[in-house]
Amino acid sequence: MSVLLALLYVIVAGTGAGVVFSREPRRQVLAIAANGLALTLLFTALQAPDVAFSELVVGTAATPLLFVVVLASMRTDQKKESKHDVGGGGRPADSKGVSRCRPARLI
Amino acid sequence: MNWIPWLLAGWLFFVGIYGVISSRNYVHLVGCLAVVQSSTYVLLLSVGYRQGAGPPIFFHIPPGRAVDPVVQALVLTDIVVGATISALLLALALQVHKVKGTLDPDQLRPLRR
Amino acid sequence: MRRYRRLALFAIAMLGILPCMIGLFAHMPRFGEHPLPYGDAINLNGVRQRHVTNMVTAVNFDYRGVDTLGEEIMLIAATVGAVMLLRGSRGEELSARPGRAPGRPIAWRSTGQVLIARLMAPLILLFGLNIIIHPQLTPGGGFQGGVIVASAALLIWLGDGYRPWRRLMRSRPIEVAEAIGAAIYALCGFAPMVVGAAFLQNVLPLGKTGALISGGLILLINAGVGIAVACGFALLFIEFLQETRAEEEPDPEEREA
Repeated sequence: MSVLLALLYVIVAGTGAGVVFSREPRRQVLAIAANGLALTLLFTALQAPDVAFSELVVGTAATPLLFVVVLASMRTDQKKESKHDVGGGGRPADSKGVSRCRPARLI
Repeated sequence: MNWIPWLLAGWLFFVGIYGVISSRNYVHLVGCLAVVQSSTYVLLLSVGYRQGAGPPIFFHIPPGRAVDPVVQALVLTDIVVGATISALLLALALQVHKVKGTLDPDQLRPLRR
Repeated sequence: MRRYRRLALFAIAMLGILPCMIGLFAHMPRFGEHPLPYGDAINLNGVRQRHVTNMVTAVNFDYRGVDTLGEEIMLIAATVGAVMLLRGSRGEELSARPGRAPGRPIAWRSTGQVLIARLMAPLILLFGLNIIIHPQLTPGGGFQGGVIVASAALLIWLGDGYRPWRRLMRSRPIEVAEAIGAAIYALCGFAPMVVGAAFLQNVLPLGKTGALISGGLILLINAGVGIAVACGFALLFIEFLQETRAEEEPDPEEREA
């Protein structure tokens, strides 16, 4: 077994653990994309170009997108609920109609 | 050095299952399930590997010694179908969030009756 | 079951499984020297028997075509399940306006983003179609290319917004196309039985090795799989993105009345 292959195995172990131990879902999305990329490199080194193709397209593009969209629709869901319950909520808008806020931290 | 692939497959499998068991968020759980699935891909492809052989594509070279194509065929379709299954589970998580308002497995118990 | 009980059970199971795993690893052949009789047989005979040069495709769509048919049905079933779940509880009151999260403004699209998305979407679509049509020669196929085509269509959403994207992607033609793709696969299974051969047996002329038209039935099956996967993923994207839309406001006249 070559050094490159052993190194790639270790990297995949690291990214796999990274996916599990990122408890916040928004942070986990990036870990999933990184895991997909590491798996793609490992599959390429294992002489499997078809599989690497599949993993690249699915694990780096499609799956993180689905996760991000689900998380986004859950946040907008909260707004619908709070609109019905409280009738206020959120920060007050300034004169231009744009609510001032900090950008949400992703990491 | 020789056991690294099998150890990695076992590590990914058990870490993923640990993530599923100890998860506090259903979306996080679906990601850990994807890690469990990837452990099977790594195991299958490592079984099919041949030392010093190339991919099973004989476009420019005559047919001869190459890596196993059967396991690659298994894993290829598996990856795409696994993504669709993750999408189905995410749709379920979305529904749970809409109905119950929470995504914590410990707070979502089945009905007693 | 409570959390600590689950973790305790997991620890007990690990204690039992780990020795078995170590014993198993000691008995496995060396990495890179496994006996692979089926793979060797296909590698040596596949080019001659099927006139294709990509052995993975030959296994996927010809030698083990029934397994891939099962995977295709799994994909359709999962897509249908997800779509049913999402549509069933959404109702008809969603508009095309983006939903607002509390405290976050909706970001404007920059000109560069729109330009790059408009430039790259047709290129990536072409690339995806390229990947779909030549699995018998080089790595590729319907599964990979289908997802690429679905992602190319999604770039229009990224660049231009939700409304132009939905104007392009109507749900009904995409559902029909997905069903047609899966039906092509199943019909390619039944058609050989009409002429007396087995289910999914390669009865079309095999062509010249290395040409684009080679492999017989593999081409048709691959086209069906590509269509089905592309439309399945496009449908999933449509349904999930529709969840992020806001509800429709009631009419101003109703509110005043």
